[in-house]
Amino acid sequence: MTRREFSVADAYVYDHRSSLRWLQSHIQRYPLLLTTFLLTTLGMASSQSLSAVAVGNAFDTVLGGGDAAALTIAALYVVAAYLGYGLFDIVNSFAIRVLAQRVERNTRDELYLSLLSKSQTFHGRQRVGDLMARATNDVQQLGLFISPALGMTIESILTLIIPLVTIATLDVKLLVVPLLFLLGVTLALRQFNNNLRPIADQLRATFGQMNAGLAETISGIEVVKGFAQEPAEEDQFSHNARAYRNAFVREGEVTAKYLPLLLYGLAIGLAFGHALFLFQRGEISVGQVITYMALLGTLRTPLRFLLRTSSVIQQSMASAHRILEMILTETELDENSEGVAQPMVGDIVFERVHFGYGEEKDDAMALNNISFHARPGQTVAIVGQTGAGKSTLTKLLNRTFDTSSGRVLIDGVDVRDWSLDSLRAQIGTIEQDIFLFSRSIAENIAFGARTAVSQAQIEAAAQEAQAHDFIMGFPNGYETVIGERGVMLSGGQRQRLAIARAFLSDPRILVLDDSTSAIDSNTEDQIQRAMRRILQGRTTLLITHRLSQIRSADLILLMKNGRLLTHGTHDELMTHSLVYRQIFIPEERRLEIGD
Amino acid sequence: MHLTGGLNPEEYDRSYSDRELVRRIAAYFRPHWSKVLLVAFMVTLISLTATITPVIISRGIDLLSGNPQLQLLLALAAVVTVLGALGWLFNFVHLWFAAQAVGDVVLALREDAFRAVMRRDLSFFDQFASGRIVSRVTSDTQDFATVVTLTVDLLSQLVLVVVIAGVMLTQNVRLALITFTVGPIVVVIALVFRRLARDAMQQAQRAQATVNATIQETISGIAVAKNFRQEGAIYTDFQATNELAYRVQLRRVVVFGSIFPLLNTVSGMAVAAIIYAGGLMAINQAVSVGDWYLFVQGLSIFFYPITSIASFWSQFQQGLAASERVFALIDDEPVVVQTAQEPVGRLRGEIAFERVTFNYSTGRNAVLQDFSLMIPAGETLAIVGHTGAGKSSLVKLLMRFYEFQAGDVGVDGRSIRTLDLSQYRRQLGLVPQVPFLFSGTVADNIRYGRPGADETAVLTAARQLGDGSWLDDLPEGIHTDVGERGARLSLGQRQLVALARVLLQDPAILLLDEATASIDPLTEAQVQIALATVLRGRTSIVIAHRLSTVQAADRIIVLRDGQIIEEGDHEGLLTAGGHYAELYTTYFRHQSLDYRPWEN
Repeated sequence: MTRREFSVADAYVYDHRSSLRWLQSHIQRYPLLLTTFLLTTLGMASSQSLSAVAVGNAFDTVLGGGDAAALTIAALYVVAAYLGYGLFDIVNSFAIRVLAQRVERNTRDELYLSLLSKSQTFHGRQRVGDLMARATNDVQQLGLFISPALGMTIESILTLIIPLVTIATLDVKLLVVPLLFLLGVTLALRQFNNNLRPIADQLRATFGQMNAGLAETISGIEVVKGFAQEPAEEDQFSHNARAYRNAFVREGEVTAKYLPLLLYGLAIGLAFGHALFLFQRGEISVGQVITYMALLGTLRTPLRFLLRTSSVIQQSMASAHRILEMILTETELDENSEGVAQPMVGDIVFERVHFGYGEEKDDAMALNNISFHARPGQTVAIVGQTGAGKSTLTKLLNRTFDTSSGRVLIDGVDVRDWSLDSLRAQIGTIEQDIFLFSRSIAENIAFGARTAVSQAQIEAAAQEAQAHDFIMGFPNGYETVIGERGVMLSGGQRQRLAIARAFLSDPRILVLDDSTSAIDSNTEDQIQRAMRRILQGRTTLLITHRLSQIRSADLILLMKNGRLLTHGTHDELMTHSLVYRQIFIPEERRLEIGD
Repeated sequence: MHLTGGLNPEEYDRSYSDRELVRRIAAYFRPHWSKVLLVAFMVTLISLTATITPVIISRGIDLLSGNPQLQLLLALAAVVTVLGALGWLFNFVHLWFAAQAVGDVVLALREDAFRAVMRRDLSFFDQFASGRIVSRVTSDTQDFATVVTLTVDLLSQLVLVVVIAGVMLTQNVRLALITFTVGPIVVVIALVFRRLARDAMQQAQRAQATVNATIQETISGIAVAKNFRQEGAIYTDFQATNELAYRVQLRRVVVFGSIFPLLNTVSGMAVAAIIYAGGLMAINQAVSVGDWYLFVQGLSIFFYPITSIASFWSQFQQGLAASERVFALIDDEPVVVQTAQEPVGRLRGEIAFERVTFNYSTGRNAVLQDFSLMIPAGETLAIVGHTGAGKSSLVKLLMRFYEFQAGDVGVDGRSIRTLDLSQYRRQLGLVPQVPFLFSGTVADNIRYGRPGADETAVLTAARQLGDGSWLDDLPEGIHTDVGERGARLSLGQRQLVALARVLLQDPAILLLDEATASIDPLTEAQVQIALATVLRGRTSIVIAHRLSTVQAADRIIVLRDGQIIEEGDHEGLLTAGGHYAELYTTYFRHQSLDYRPWEN
């Protein structure tokens, strides 16, 4: 069993051994719908054949000198056959469509649950856009796989086979042409699908390329125009559009050459000849000739269905594979519910820590041999360029990632020995890119609290975070809904809500990414005051670009390319680090001029 | 995800008469008229073979009542076989040539639409979301082609219906009339269904959009939920939405699941009616058995064209609407128009704004009113001011991205309206606030303005920035893939690439809109050194957000509501204690080393 960070007790278990078995287990979850679908499909194919027989019988009745009463009965058989067909058809259609919707719902649920159970390492690697594509497009594709593709395929196969059984009851000899026809169709279909597959892929790929290229040109239009590169962009677009056009025409050519329809055209003529020949020898009646021709007539529709379903099935298998791949991705962490659970003091030690995302060579690790010690209550500023490993370092604390070698200790205990629950509950994080839910402000602030909180507590936290005033400025106050359907907040406002959220969860260790600052100093003043307050009494890892914050930190870590260049207080670093001094050169120069 | 997107009207939309639309659509097909003609001819042949086959079979059945010769019967069968093969052949030619004609026409239309988009000035792109422009160029053009394929299909169906109806009428009027009653019934069902389907579809699309938004949020929220150990809560949210989506889809299932069974049943009842009525006539010798058979067969041939004719109009309208959207895009005129195409050599870089008035669109407040500013060649000018003061507008006017309404903008004593736009823009180097990179390598991006530049030139430009050590931080140097829109590079690295891109272009005038998001102090130091190189020997306008840039400028102007309210250098203006001093307190103070707001 895969390791999980989160699980629910009564989750349905699906078969994960292959994409096909996985889909199968999803479909088999509803045996009643499935059986209904299969039985009604059989019913449809049978009543279709019966209606052909009924029509033939009507002819025989008239030709055999039957009267109006006999004809009425024969016609009523036809009515019954078609009504039966209609009844089966509607039940069948509902069954398969409902099944498709349920599979869509359930696969989405399974995927989401598995995403929740995965570690932050996994989520750190995954782009949200990619996850979204799998949860929406790929899941919808599975719905299309069941209805119409799978439904039509099963229906087509049965409506190709059942008429043959009926034909056998007319006269076994009549089977010669249809059997040869079926054999031919089977071979031709395989050939057709082999021809179509690469072209269908090409068609999708070229369309995607044309779209993506166009979207990029438009997003970068200022650059395009600024450098007067419109002609080059036109060439590029024409090239892409032409590649799509060529794929489109080739698809048209392959589809036009769909051989089963030619085989069908030939089969009708040959079958007619054969039936007439048998009639001539007195082996079958006129009615049987008509039934036979009517039955052959029903073979045309499934051929048209099969023209399209195989490419849908192809795409759906790819979708199923993509979803299952995500579900099966191993996750490194588990809940470790037996681990250490105790109140934290906030003493942090990094001991020769290395960390890599997996693929890098030793000298290109994301973090390389990091060691330092932060005492309870200290503020540690982490300084370095984007990509130097600043936020990666902070993510080892709450086990978003685990070290590749070396140890991270909190209060002398390796973080891997802490219970994940207790560890994360006592480490708070305020990210650079703050995520808020499209709910009320109060709910967003209360999100971090472990227990139910009162309105008074929420407001107190907002006061501490300097957020109360702007919240009260909204007509609905704390009940104001945030996000697309509600008010849009500025970066500074979001930051203060995140701080309020952190006040309520009251962590002993705080990771604070303050590398995006507001443009406006007045807002900035409030944020900085709020931050100052939340730092009090907590060990804080602070990622910042602000020179004044760096200068006043208890400990400064200066990082470059995943290494800790040096660490110490501002005064220490100013004396012995050239790189560190360079940061302050423009400021020093200004002070010289100013003084 | 963009389920209803792209269908909403845009401001540049206009309506065309149906005649005008058809005329223009036809114009695109004119170069391919021989193919279209061939396709139409094939369509007629297909209809004919589809009708002749059952007629021949019915004659064969009539022969059976006599005492027919085997040779004659086999000859009939042979004719049916040949017709089957011919039908396929006609269909093949039809589909293949139709694909060619449609492919070529869509390509031509896409190229026209793209060129039209490229002609637009930036006011167009400000106004209209890029996703919707993209869908006009790629999806609507596809729908445009469906107008023609639909019409050709309709034509073939009509020919088929008319031929079948003709054959039926000549055989037996009463049976023919019984068959024809199916027509109106099917049309009524199709119309009612269309309305139900549209409602169900719209509901489902709207619900699906909401669901997708919630799914997006719950997926983005996973990381936060994990930090706070709130997975259970967020899962409950997700489940509720997922269940809602399922229920809405069920409603659609009911509508779409019942239409075909219903139509099939109607067709079956009609067959039974023909069997009965035809049978009665056959008993009375009023009709031959073969004709009776022909009517039973003819009904199903007659039935399907009627259903597709019933659904034709709405699809045709959709196609026309799509064409209308594409033509509106092509026909809309750009606002920025040059009065002449004078060649532009190397500029000295003297810039003059003379009593310029500018607003982004008519009816909105003027951003610049009667604005004048002289910038001598070689000066580095910093512009500061609150958001909305008109700083970026100045730069964008100079780039000729927008049209101004009064006054004139001159460069080296010539109005920028009279210059060859491409040549002029190559003399300007713009580094936007958020540097946009195209997917490809760092080198590809640096040589964007000069596609022919070799690697040495690219490296030289890159090394002019700082000491070039920023290249060492890139895993594969200038051959590093920048990712989608430069996502794999840090903001600082992207700015350095954008600066190198401008350096290689070697413009006479540099326009720099500094990033507001603060850059890490190490990168900031690098960019400062780089800028010193870039600014040397050029006229530069810098929209300054960084304290260090303001301090280094030759001259600072303070803008408010499109007016220059102060100018001078940093020290002088700060000492004067006016607007600049206030701006410093608002925007630049927190970048200083002594910023400690919690202490007062």
